[in-house]
Amino acid sequence: MISVRHLTKEFKRVKRKEGFLSGVRNLFSAEYTIKRAVDDISFEVREGEIVGYIGPNGAGKSTSIKMLSGILVPTSGHLEVNGIVPYKDRKANARQIGAVFGQKTQLWWDVPVIESLRLLKDIYKVSDRQYKRNLEIFNDLLELDTFCQTPVRQLSLGQRMRADLAAALQHDPKILFLDEPTIGVDIVAKEKLRTFIREINREFKVTVLLTTHDMWDIEKLCSRMLIIDHGQVIYDGSVEQIRDTYGGSRTLVVELEEEVADFSVPRAELVKSEGRKKWFRFNRLEASPSDLITQIGGRYPIVDLTVEEPEIEQLVRSIYQGQGRRTEVM
Amino acid sequence: MRLFWSFTRQSFHSSAIYRFDFWLQLFSVFLMMYSVFWIWTILYHQRPGAFGISLEQMITYGVLGMALDTIFHPGRGPQMYIAQQIRSGAIDTDLMKPLDFHLHMLARHFGETLFRFSTLALPSLIIGYLFLDLQLPAGWAQGLLFVISLLLGFMVLFSLNFLLGLLAVVTLDIRSITWAYNGIVRFFAGQMVPLWVFPGFIGALAAVLPFKSIFYIPLSIYIGRLSGSEAWQAIGFQLVWICVLIPLGRLAWGRIHSRLVVQGG
Ligand SMILES: Nc1ncnc2c1ncn2[C@@H]1O[C@H](COP(=O)(O)OP(=O)(O)O)[C@@H](O)[C@H]1O
Ligand SMILES: [Mg+2]
Repeated sequence: MISVRHLTKEFKRVKRKEGFLSGVRNLFSAEYTIKRAVDDISFEVREGEIVGYIGPNGAGKSTSIKMLSGILVPTSGHLEVNGIVPYKDRKANARQIGAVFGQKTQLWWDVPVIESLRLLKDIYKVSDRQYKRNLEIFNDLLELDTFCQTPVRQLSLGQRMRADLAAALQHDPKILFLDEPTIGVDIVAKEKLRTFIREINREFKVTVLLTTHDMWDIEKLCSRMLIIDHGQVIYDGSVEQIRDTYGGSRTLVVELEEEVADFSVPRAELVKSEGRKKWFRFNRLEASPSDLITQIGGRYPIVDLTVEEPEIEQLVRSIYQGQGRRTEVM
Repeated sequence: MRLFWSFTRQSFHSSAIYRFDFWLQLFSVFLMMYSVFWIWTILYHQRPGAFGISLEQMITYGVLGMALDTIFHPGRGPQMYIAQQIRSGAIDTDLMKPLDFHLHMLARHFGETLFRFSTLALPSLIIGYLFLDLQLPAGWAQGLLFVISLLLGFMVLFSLNFLLGLLAVVTLDIRSITWAYNGIVRFFAGQMVPLWVFPGFIGALAAVLPFKSIFYIPLSIYIGRLSGSEAWQAIGFQLVWICVLIPLGRLAWGRIHSRLVVQGG
């Protein structure tokens, strides 16, 4: 469905001049620095997959997605989306993909959501029947009808994301690109978005490529993930494997009833302490959260607790360490 | 064509939101029309016959110019939209659409202009007609030619604005340029003062620049200063500039698109 081979993108960044008429002078400026945002990436995505595309900030995720959407032309390499080379046939590609960029909306700010959808209907030449059918689906799964008469600027972030998803999907794309679709969204709204993404993947066989900073998105949605760093793929495989190999560590955050001195718990490491709040890192395979909670709770009353998944940055670090160890053994 | 209609409909849906803003704008247009009315009345009183046309014609020219400023203000074109989309990075969502970018901007801006015409320009014109001696065109033919040249004026202004918008893509900041651009356009377009009042060299310069297509030509046709073959010549002048500016804009966009950097992400 998606095929990417040796994809590379370099940005020429102009060194900007400041001051009077800087805009005009920048036109004639010739000083550049070159930044390789995507560096020889190769991967395949099969039809019907939901693939998590993750990596630290600046890893090159958005740049890859922009190339797959036909917005950016690669510096070198080959890419194909359902048989179409996006930058060569941008319009044909646009009709078969949908995309949501978490921080940017494609809806009109001052206009009720439904009117933006109607405009997009005309732009994508969606038939009346298809439009009505999809609207029913969106009302059903996204509860679009509860806010479709509201102008976008009055929506909550979660609602706006739902509206943007509807906008990206009403022309029945085969492939959906989601660039941080859950960023800044509260937990309940996140869960709704995830359910929806899973549903359209299952029901309509939409292939999804998703970037996120939330490991829960990956856990709940993806069977496979690609981890990239500095523009290169450093992991391509199942989510379980990465969890077992590298991501075994979890953090238990407990909030105690009153402030106590730091203390230790077997099979867990106190990594942070802030008054009544303590952070314990433990390995999933060595200790279970319920054991730890019983142990801590036996000593001090607990007010609140959460178990945190490892951060993506931490995952990336442990992948590098893992590789380092392996080469040492060899 | 369907696209133009869709964007127009879309623009009308943002209407009710800015009711306060609307009254404020209408009021300020009225003030400007009123000022122009008085300035010409006083000037004609002091130097009758110095401006080549009758006071009624001049007042009509000035008042109409102010009313049309609501749709032809150079600071409210597609360049503003493009600059804002570039700044926020949302230009990605525009580039993703299965639309020709130039056509997309034209349709979007056409819709907004039509919206502003019916909600701001038209009421201003009615006020001008009722209270400020705004004359009707001499005849049907005159009126029709005026509408044609107004549409062509829209195309010229759009094309110039589009080119400026492309500059925003390249330099990411056009504020200092916009400021100068707006001044130049308004001056050479003959919005406040008809071009024949300009002195020698500046008048000659204004005569060949495209800007006069925006206000001077439609307004002069309206008041009958340009009529018959002169009016057709002026319309030909507009067409020539459109034939230069549209391909220029599309060519520039093609080149810029291929080296487009999208900020942020
Ligand atoms: N338009 C651009 N011009 C110059 N550099 C860019 C541009 N877009 C992205 N970059 C750089 O490319 C790298 C990758 O960016 P991006 O793809 O946005 O990363 P991610 O989405 O993984 O956080 C970053 O170092 C970023 O600064
Ligand atoms: Mg990004």
